[in-house]
Amino acid sequence: MASKPVTAPVPITWYPTLAVFMLSIGLLITASFFIYEATSSRKTRSLPKELTTGALASFFLGFGSLFLLLASGVYV
Amino acid sequence: MEASLRAHRPAALLIFAFLSLIAVSSSAAQEIQILNAERRIDLSSQVAIVFLTLKVENTGKAAASDVILAFPPTEADHLAEVKAQAASGKKRKKTYAHLIVEPTDVPDAPNGAKGFRVALLNPLSPGETSTIEVLYMLTHSMEPFPAEISQSDPQLVYYRDSAYILSPYRIKQQTTFIKTPSTNVQSFSRVEPTNRASMELKYGPYEDLPAYSYAPVLVHFENNNPFAVVEELVREVEISHWGNLQITEHYTLAHGGAKLKGVFSRVEYQSRPSASGVSSFKNLLARLPPRVHSVYYRDEIGNISSSRLRTDSRKSELEIEPRYPLFGGWKSTFIIGYGLPLEDFLFESTDGKRYLNFTFGCPLSGTVVDKLTVKVVLPEGSKDPTAIIPFPVEEHMETKYSYLDVVGRPVLVLEKKNVVPEHNIPFQVYYSFNPIFMLAEPLMLVSTVFFLFASCVAYLHIDISIRKG
Repeated sequence: MASKPVTAPVPITWYPTLAVFMLSIGLLITASFFIYEATSSRKTRSLPKELTTGALASFFLGFGSLFLLLASGVYV
Repeated sequence: MEASLRAHRPAALLIFAFLSLIAVSSSAAQEIQILNAERRIDLSSQVAIVFLTLKVENTGKAAASDVILAFPPTEADHLAEVKAQAASGKKRKKTYAHLIVEPTDVPDAPNGAKGFRVALLNPLSPGETSTIEVLYMLTHSMEPFPAEISQSDPQLVYYRDSAYILSPYRIKQQTTFIKTPSTNVQSFSRVEPTNRASMELKYGPYEDLPAYSYAPVLVHFENNNPFAVVEELVREVEISHWGNLQITEHYTLAHGGAKLKGVFSRVEYQSRPSASGVSSFKNLLARLPPRVHSVYYRDEIGNISSSRLRTDSRKSELEIEPRYPLFGGWKSTFIIGYGLPLEDFLFESTDGKRYLNFTFGCPLSGTVVDKLTVKVVLPEGSKDPTAIIPFPVEEHMETKYSYLDVVGRPVLVLEKKNVVPEHNIPFQVYYSFNPIFMLAEPLMLVSTVFFLFASCVAYLHIDISIRKG
């Protein structure tokens, strides 16, 4: 019975690179979120834009921190 | 014994004829006789390795499908492994076929002897002979005597066995050879004919002995080989589908030989190593799989730096040196941990289930483990774990809460007592896992971060100031 070895969904050698890129993109979007909050007034703020920016930032930060944990040896 | 048998022989013949006329079914005791038995006992290490060659003949009317081996109850408690194979062919072209051995009840055995049934490949027809080879190992069967020695004494042990091979069948001719690790044999019991030639004792040949004959013998000899006993070992194998297998092993190591009495002089130990502490040991070798990474060796105090790791493409060897050399009665506890790449050990079978192929048993070579617990921690969301192991173990399930866990990881716990290095063979754990569950971990992180952003948005939108309405 030729069994297929199970490998990780993403090649392990990419983990550090992915961690750095995803975290930096996430932090850029977080920065843009806070800049938007700071420069807009109560009247000009639009909730959908805030939520989408927040969602996108949290997606990148979440996956980036997962890859950061994996790259540093904490195999969750 | 012989005189009474001769007197009862005519009566026995009549009874045998009567029974054969009735044609009793084969569930009655099969009529087997052992033509020639040779037993080689190797006492070089702390485990007594016994190699038994039996030439079996079927003297009954019905075909015999198995051969029963008997062990005295004290020996049966210390049996670590019983293996059998059938030899066929001539001297140079022998082929060996593995036979299944199972413990069995021997109801009419005297003094509570325990039995093992060896299933023959092809049933032995009446009048036919066959040769089977049995290998069995006994742990803790060498008793240190004197029980306490000083630092400069050699270690002497007792080995108790029988000059006659214990068997439920009549043995026509038998010989027992005992091999000692050195030429220093203080004393040995004589059951004539007995001979001794440097490192080998020969008991026999003995002719025509009835079933269950037993002649206790005692050999008192010097054995300075390390009596490294791991009293308890807990091995945890954590599977992470992100690409790593993390093994953590908790050891309680003890020296199982003669206890040290008096003081331990480090000066004497280091200045005269050939005369001082000859039965002590100071390092152990652990054989690990290749491509191992992040190996650590520590105990409750902290990291133990006296270790060497040598890796190559086929194996890795970790040589560990506990903080102090181990003398009789001394113990040491430590933890060894390492990581392994997942693709070497986790596979997907044809029916969609995944299985882990890993070695059972202690990686430290030359040690006997009194109680071994292997815990296989499966990723969160795994279902239906089953284990396929070549020897009997006790199984039960637990749950472990580890990194980013919500419901916990299922843990399959396998326990076995009396483990020797022969048990270092692969076993498999099958389980089913839906790959979508792997997303649970990153999504948990994403949702935590999003909760922070959402609370930020909420704070900025909510007006909590008090104003004139």
